Amino acid sequence: MLAEYDLELWAVLSQHEATREAARALGLATRLAGSDTDLDGNELSHAAGESGDAQELLAANALFCQETVRSGRSIYHEGHVVVLGDVNPGAQIIAGGNVVVWGRLRGFVHAGAHGNREALICALELSPTQLRIADEIAIPPAGRPERLQPETALIRDHQIVAEPWRARDHGRD
Amino acid sequence: MHAKVITVTSGKGGVGKTTVTANLAAALAMLGRRVVALDADIGLRNLDVVMGLENRIVYDLVDVVEGRCRLPQAMIRDKRFPELYLIPAAQTRDKMAVSPSDMVLVCDQLRQDMDYVLIDSPAGIERGFRNAVAPADQVIVVTNPEVSAVRDADRIVGLLEAEEHGPGQLIINRLKPQMVARGDMLSIADVLDILAIDLLGVIPEDEDILVGSNRGAPVAMNGSHSASAGQAFRNIARRLEGEDVPIMELSHQGGLFGRLRAWMSGR
Repeated sequence: MLAEYDLELWAVLSQHEATREAARALGLATRLAGSDTDLDGNELSHAAGESGDAQELLAANALFCQETVRSGRSIYHEGHVVVLGDVNPGAQIIAGGNVVVWGRLRGFVHAGAHGNREALICALELSPTQLRIADEIAIPPAGRPERLQPETALIRDHQIVAEPWRARDHGRD
Repeated sequence: MHAKVITVTSGKGGVGKTTVTANLAAALAMLGRRVVALDADIGLRNLDVVMGLENRIVYDLVDVVEGRCRLPQAMIRDKRFPELYLIPAAQTRDKMAVSPSDMVLVCDQLRQDMDYVLIDSPAGIERGFRNAVAPADQVIVVTNPEVSAVRDADRIVGLLEAEEHGPGQLIINRLKPQMVARGDMLSIADVLDILAIDLLGVIPEDEDILVGSNRGAPVAMNGSHSASAGQAFRNIARRLEGEDVPIMELSHQGGLFGRLRAWMSGR
């Protein structure tokens, strides 16, 4: 899946021991997010801004799930959720932060569930049954997308839109 | 001797669990294996009817569990085969009459002198399902090529993974090649795309199955023509035996035109 899109997952940031264990098992770099050091041990500068601390706390608390989330499964997490696998129809993921699906998203995802309108939902194939970000709800058009590509869903002008994923979007603030 | 315990389940009702159980039991028995089919659908038993053994029931699974008879007394021998037995479910009780540990105990006894124990699971994901799956060495998930059945199968696979029974192996039942060709039915690839588990076999829609079920004579016993459901069941039995049998080519009766259309659409 990764190679197909010429992308590489190189690090997993988390405070959850289980998440970091899973990542290490995959040979990925991990660190204690929020520990003020990056992978090389250098000091990190704190993100400025009014929600800086809250954002960092959320980021610190990512749930990493390396399996297909099947129908009937429900994942609820205060922070971000990263799924390495598919999210099948009938499954639901509810996250306080962002939701990244490294696979096919065909189920239900609610990102920014506590009202964070900046939250993102990304998937290698974004064909969900329904998406929610904060208090916005979106139902994707029927039928399969004609071209499968990684997409990001976010709120623009009070509605959820899906955009093709591009590297330069990565630094969105 | 150490039997393999295989549970046939699906989540959704009516997709063909009982048909698959009866036919695989018959097909394995035809290969000379010692097989017992165990109906875990207490209160809604059907396996005895499909196998044509209903009128020979004296004791059932609940009688065994509650100590009213010994296990061999509840095993009805199907005389059409060298060694095929049925343990029927009770019709007048419900799923709570048996616990998962009862099922493990019964199956451990059966393991002694059988080659296969095939358990027909009830629909659903509650007690009856948990009873049926508890003793399983291997689980077969049956689905139909339709969205609701696949959704329920996906739920079942998730539950099996959570209970560390492995993801199970898939049988797609009632496939209509003509409908798939028209794009009106999920294809094998569509189903596997969602479920992502090993495919054990594909059973084509076949009127003979209904006829056989009503007569109490599973189609695996006869129906020698190559593309029949009976052949599909016999192939699955051989796969369970460890043979490498390719999935049967299910061609619709489209002839040259159908093939041309397939080419034109780039397949």
